[in-house]
Amino acid sequence: MTSQAEAVAPRSSLPVAVSVQKVDMTFDGFQAVKGASFDLAEGRFLTILGPSGSGKTTLLRMIAGFQRPSAGEIFINGVPVSAAPPHKRSIGMVFQKLALFPHMTAAENVAFPLKMRRFDANTIPERVKRYLDLVQLGPYADRRIHQLSGGQQQRVAIARALVFEPDLLLLDEPLAALDRKLREEMQLEFRRIQRELGVTTINVTHDQREALVVSDEVIVMDKGVIQQNAAPAQTYRTPANAFVAGFIGVTNFLSGKVVAVEGANLTYEAAGEAMQGHWSAPGAPQLGATVTGALRAEQIRLAASVAELSACQTVKTGVVTDAIFEGERIVYEIALTGAPGTVLRAFDHDPVTHKQFAIGETMAMGWNARDVLTFPN
Amino acid sequence: MPKSAYLLRWRVMDGLEALVAAIWPRHFHRALPYVMLLPAVLLVLLLVIGMIQIGDSSARTLDRSTFLPSDFYTAGNYQRIFTDGLYWSILWRSLLGSVIVTALCLVFAFPYSYLMVRTPSALLRKFLLIALFLPFFIGQVVRAYGWLIILGNQGVVNEMLGLIGVAPIRLLYNYPAVLFGLVQYMIPFAVLMLAPALTAIPEEMESAANSLGANWWRTFIHVVLPMARPGLVGAGLVVLTLSLTDFAMPAILGGGSQDFIANAIYDQFFRTSDQGMGAALTLILVGVGSLLVGVVFTLFGAGTLAMGRDRK
Repeated sequence: MTSQAEAVAPRSSLPVAVSVQKVDMTFDGFQAVKGASFDLAEGRFLTILGPSGSGKTTLLRMIAGFQRPSAGEIFINGVPVSAAPPHKRSIGMVFQKLALFPHMTAAENVAFPLKMRRFDANTIPERVKRYLDLVQLGPYADRRIHQLSGGQQQRVAIARALVFEPDLLLLDEPLAALDRKLREEMQLEFRRIQRELGVTTINVTHDQREALVVSDEVIVMDKGVIQQNAAPAQTYRTPANAFVAGFIGVTNFLSGKVVAVEGANLTYEAAGEAMQGHWSAPGAPQLGATVTGALRAEQIRLAASVAELSACQTVKTGVVTDAIFEGERIVYEIALTGAPGTVLRAFDHDPVTHKQFAIGETMAMGWNARDVLTFPN
Repeated sequence: MPKSAYLLRWRVMDGLEALVAAIWPRHFHRALPYVMLLPAVLLVLLLVIGMIQIGDSSARTLDRSTFLPSDFYTAGNYQRIFTDGLYWSILWRSLLGSVIVTALCLVFAFPYSYLMVRTPSALLRKFLLIALFLPFFIGQVVRAYGWLIILGNQGVVNEMLGLIGVAPIRLLYNYPAVLFGLVQYMIPFAVLMLAPALTAIPEEMESAANSLGANWWRTFIHVVLPMARPGLVGAGLVVLTLSLTDFAMPAILGGGSQDFIANAIYDQFFRTSDQGMGAALTLILVGVGSLLVGVVFTLFGAGTLAMGRDRK
């Protein structure tokens, strides 16, 4: 959280479209959102990522106008909107369950916001057609909602949310219910449409892959607090804290007491063994303090013997407790020798040429000190 | 494990299953649904026999000198009904009354059901549910007498009016009193039929309409109302048929001056003992009711009363 300032990506010089300032939300004494602040530039695609109960949906609903912040203010194009009801805001929203109107056809659904917002009746059919074409649904205009497939319904929902050219597009986990293949297809579709129209977009999801694939910026939330706000790659490479490191990617955690400090490099004792790490939080590590080291599964080199890993700064051995063949990789779970109960996850990214180790076999693991991102506990 | 070690309950169940298998062999299983349908079919069949009997009586006029039905078939009873203005006015009063009662019930039941379904307060929901079921513990006749006490010339309402110097108003024994009693009686039925239909409308639909630019009124007109149609049709049909055939409210709150068809039928059977005339009126009531339901079905679909996949 405190490293947020240094982690923020270089912003475009575009004007700020959405500004959330010190927003709190309290329900019956429970604080769902605490002091959330961020700015989003025009035309950017932001994803708010977090586990369920992290406050991400509450934040989105406040921006949409379905809930009023307990404290703080939300600005859209510089105008404070907290007091405005949803229908007075210029926001298109795609809902989790889409909320398409079943008593209307696809075209009538798309025409609905235009009629409600009093667009010139003569221009409505042309505009509806243009947006149905944009989502490649031109031939399905007169179908009822239940006559469309899941993917087609998604497209109607997108067209309906965009047809009145809102200042802001909100996506409330609309892809969560789709099967994986369709979901990945729709993620790219969202990105294509968003780029084509240049509409500022805020997407909410618990799917870390989706956050990395579709967004220009990612906000990670936990327990109602924004943990990090940065570009996707930056969030992955330099997580602001142990929560972010654990939520995105497959991460091993090794915690222990600091025994030596040398600049940003430190040595700490984890599971009875000395561990080299790289300090990844603001300030400096203190001798004797408990720290947590985060080591990505893909940063661990694997070999049959210690001798083959001479290039690595830290080399350990362990016994394979599970080996899962996933096609493009093998996932190993390896119990660290001399540290009972400490199991590391590691990937072999070449399952075609490498032999798969069996459960019970001993393997060598190696990594470098800079791969172990250490955070205060 | 020896069989005797099993729980006694298990052994009893095993024995029962063996018994069922012995008296109801497996290849009879396909007939099971039809067998289970039998009691209901028999009950309806009995009513059909009654209908045939009524059809027979309706075609025989009463001989005033012998007080016996004619032993030949004649359309006399129907002729009398369709030429006598009295029956036309009773028919018209029943039809108009049931339509007005249905409309009022739907108007009053809708906000009640909506609040009951949507309120975030569990306490309020329980209160509304209890308030809904409480009247069912009091029969229709008792309720109608209750209204006599409240609305009578020396009733509570007129006494209160007397306190502020208003002369007693005749609140009973007129058409509005009957309709009032019917509406009060039918609202719980309408709410019960409407609530499931409103529950079936996801709240997200209303949020979506809001975010697309519709205020609450337009959300109601363009989204909630059309989506509630199955419930409105179901509730409407129930209230319509129950009001059209109602007896107690017109009899008690109408005081004999506001007869519905059911009252006319009663009079024929038990006052003038003209069974044929009563039977003819009964068949006309069944015909008019069926016609009305048929018209609603073709115009709006069967609503929540329809089963199966292709219900609209």
